[in-house]
Amino acid sequence: MSTEAIAAERPKRNYNALFGLTLLALLVLLWIILSVATPSFASANNISNLLRQGSMIAILAVGQTFVIITGGIDLSVGAVVGFATVIVAMLINAGTPVFLAILITLLVGVAIGMFHGFGIVKMGLPPFIITLATLTSLRGIGLLMTNGNSININSDSFTAFSRSSFVGIPNLFWMVILVGIPAYIFLHHSRWGRYLFSVGSNAEASRLSGVNVQRTIYMAYTLSGLCAAFVGVLLASRIGIGNPTQAEGWELQAIASSVIGGTSLFGAVGSVHGPLLGAFILATINNGANLLNVNAFWQRIITGVLIIVIVYFDGLRRRGK
Amino acid sequence: MMSTAQELHPAPTLEPGRTILELRGLEKRYPGTHALKPVDLAFKAGEIHAIVGENGAGKSTLIKLLTGVMPRTSGDVIWEGKPAALATPHEAMALGINAVHQEVVLCRHLTVAANMFLGEEDSRFGILQQRAMVRQAQKIIDDLGFDLPAHVKLGDLTIGQQQLIAAARATVRGTKFLIFDEPTAYLTRKEADQLFTLIRRLKGEGVTIIYISHRMEEVFELADRVSVLRDGTLVGTRNIAETNDAELVKMMINRSIEQVYHKEHFTPGAMLVETRNLSGKGFENVSMSVRAGEIVGLYGLIGAGRSEFVTTLYGRHRKAAGQILWEGKEVKVNSEHDAIRLGMALAPESRRDQGLCLNLPVGLNLNLPIYKRISSNLLISRAQEKAQADRQIADLRIKTPTRSALASSLSGGNQQKIVIGKWLAHGAKLFIFDEPTVGVDVGTKAEIYRLFGALLSKGAGIILISSYLPEVYELADTLHVFRRGKLVATHGFHTADHEEILTQALAEKQERPGGRI
Repeated sequence: MSTEAIAAERPKRNYNALFGLTLLALLVLLWIILSVATPSFASANNISNLLRQGSMIAILAVGQTFVIITGGIDLSVGAVVGFATVIVAMLINAGTPVFLAILITLLVGVAIGMFHGFGIVKMGLPPFIITLATLTSLRGIGLLMTNGNSININSDSFTAFSRSSFVGIPNLFWMVILVGIPAYIFLHHSRWGRYLFSVGSNAEASRLSGVNVQRTIYMAYTLSGLCAAFVGVLLASRIGIGNPTQAEGWELQAIASSVIGGTSLFGAVGSVHGPLLGAFILATINNGANLLNVNAFWQRIITGVLIIVIVYFDGLRRRGK
Repeated sequence: MMSTAQELHPAPTLEPGRTILELRGLEKRYPGTHALKPVDLAFKAGEIHAIVGENGAGKSTLIKLLTGVMPRTSGDVIWEGKPAALATPHEAMALGINAVHQEVVLCRHLTVAANMFLGEEDSRFGILQQRAMVRQAQKIIDDLGFDLPAHVKLGDLTIGQQQLIAAARATVRGTKFLIFDEPTAYLTRKEADQLFTLIRRLKGEGVTIIYISHRMEEVFELADRVSVLRDGTLVGTRNIAETNDAELVKMMINRSIEQVYHKEHFTPGAMLVETRNLSGKGFENVSMSVRAGEIVGLYGLIGAGRSEFVTTLYGRHRKAAGQILWEGKEVKVNSEHDAIRLGMALAPESRRDQGLCLNLPVGLNLNLPIYKRISSNLLISRAQEKAQADRQIADLRIKTPTRSALASSLSGGNQQKIVIGKWLAHGAKLFIFDEPTVGVDVGTKAEIYRLFGALLSKGAGIILISSYLPEVYELADTLHVFRRGKLVATHGFHTADHEEILTQALAEKQERPGGRI
C-alpha cells in the first residue's frame, strides 16, 4: 500500500519505523492475549497500574539510549534514581519549595552525568568502569546521608502527584510523553542527535569532520543523569519516601528496554520510540505474569529469554538487510 | 607439537634448485580493481627470491593468495608438483607456507614463549607446561643468536624485536616456504643484521624465502633472484648477479601513463598556507607553502611522515615546534575545529578508520561537517539536509540507491567520493587529500582528478599525498619528497624524472654503508 511507496523512497527510515511497528504489534498482541486470559487485565485500574509501572523504566531507557548510541553504557542510573529520592526528600522536608527541590535534584543528576563525561573524556576511563564506580559509591553516599533509614516525605501535594491522573491517564505516563517528545526531536531532528550517532559510529571520522566529540560524550551522559534524577523525583513522589537503596537493578532493566527497542550496544543504532516500547513490553510481561499467578522467579527467567529472542531476531533482520 | 620445535628446522624434502612452488596464470580481481593480472612464476627450493614493486603493484595481494588469506580469482598454484587449493591459512601452513608480516600479528599481552607456541602449546593432561615452553623458546631464541628473553610479555619488546620473534616463530613450524613482507620497515640496522643472519641460516637449511622490500640494498645483499611487479603485472625476473638497481627501478616505474591524469594549470594566486620548520611526532623541520590554484604533492614511502605532517597541520596532533601561517598571518591550530574554521579540509588516509561512519547513511556522512549550517538553532532543516546530500550524490555521481543507504554498502571508489564530497559543500580553501585514490578504480580516479581541477579553478589550493609516484608526478605543480620524517627534495612540475625522485625517496646512503644506492 502507501507504505510500499515510502519504502522505495527511503528504505532505512521505513525499516526503523517497521521495527517500531513490530514491537508495537508485539505489545498489542500481549495485551490482547492477557485480556482474554485474565479477567482483571483489561480493567481501568490495572491498565493505569501498568502504565505507572512502565513509565519510570521508560524514561530511564531514553537517557540510557543516548549513551548507548555513542557506544557507551551508563550503569549508574539505578543508583542515581535512589540517590535522587534521598535528595528530593531531604530538601522538601527541610522546607524547600517543591519546585526548587525538584530543580536542585535534577541539577544533581546533571552534575553526576557531567562527572561521567569527565571520567571518560579527561581521565580516559571506560564508560563501564566510571559508571560502575558511581553505581556503588552513590548508594554508599545515600546511606551515609540517611544513616540507612528511609525519609518520609511530609508534603502531600508532592506525593499526590504520582498517584493522580489527568484526563484518565496517570500523571506518570504523561511524564513519559513530556520526556519522549523533546527526546525524539533532539535525537532525530537536531544536529546534536546526528553527532551522537556519528560519534558512536566512528569517533575519529567525526572528529576530523569537525564534530566536537568530547562535548557530544558529555552531553550523552548528562542527559542520562538528568533522566535518572527525574525518575528519582517521580519515584519519591510515588512511594512517598527517600531511600538510597531504591531502584536496585533498574539500570539493567533500562538497558534491556533499550536493547529490546532496537538499540545496538555497538553504538550508532537506536531511536526514542524503541526503548519506550521496550520498557512497556517488559512491564506488561511482569504485570501479566502477576495476574496469571506465575511464580515471580519464573518472571525473571521469562524476561531473560525474551531479551535473547527479541535481540536475536533483530540481529537476523539487520544482517538480512 | 613440541617435537617439531625441538628439531628447530625440519629439513625440507626437495633438493635445492628444483621448483618448489609454481604459479600458473595466478590472478586476483577485487570489485573494481584488477589487483593481480595473470602471473607465471616458479620459485626454486632453497632460494631467496626478492619481490619488489611500488605500493599497489600487487605484492600484498600475491602474499594473501599464497598464504590462503584470500581466494584467487583464477589460475593454479603447483606445490611440489601437485596443485594446491590454498583456500585457508590453515592449509597453507600445513603445506609449510608461512609469512612474517610487516605489522606484527601476535598477542602483545602474552609472553614471548606463549606467542612462539601459540596454537600448538605443550600440555600434559590439559595443563600447560609453561616452564618447559619458556625453556624451549629461550633455547630457540639463543640458538638463533637473538639476545632476547622468552619470559617477558611480547608488548614489552620494541617493534623490531617483536619482528624477530615473529620470524623465530615461523621457523619452528616446519616451514619450507617463508615469506617476509617488508620485515625491516621498523628494524634498526643491528636488528636487521640479526634478521639477515636468520634468513641466510634458513636458506642454508633449504627453506625457500620470499623477500619483499622497498630497499634496493637489502635486495642486493640477500637475494638470489628478484622479480618486479608493476600495476599487478609481473614485469620480469632477474638473477641478482645480472642486474643492477638502475634496471630494477626502471622496471618498477616505467609504466604507460594513461590518460587518467587530468591536469589543468592555473596561475598560482595568493599564499594560502605556509609552514616554517614545523616539527611534530613523525616528522621534523618541514617548511613548505601552498598557493591558491596550486597542487602541492608530497611523495614518499609509507611511514615517511607525510600523513603525520598534514594531520598536525590540520590540528589533529600537537606540533612540537615551528610556525603555521595562514594567508600570511601566523595562526595557532590547536584542534581540527580551528583548522576547519580557517578553511582547511582533510580527506584522510583511511576511509574505514578516519573517513567514514560506515554504519550510518550516505547522507549523514556527506552532511556531517555542515550540520551547523543547515540547522536553525536546534533543529535541522530536513529539506536542506536532503537537498545537500542529493546534490553531492548527483554532482559526484556517487553510485548509491538513495542517500539513506549505509556507507558500508558502497564500493571503495564511491566511499572515497563521500570522504571528498563532504567537504565540497562546506567550502574550504585548502584541501588536503591523503592517498585519495587507494583502492579506487581507474574511472573514479579520473573523476577525482577532474574534481581537483574544478577546486583549483575556484581558487582553492590542494595538498596531495600519494605513495604512487605517477599520480603526484603528473598532478603536482610542486613536488616535495619525504624520507624518514624529513622533506629531502623539492621539484617543479616535471623538472625531475621518476628515477631521481624514487631514488631520493628510497636512498639511505648515509644510514647504511654498503648499500648500493
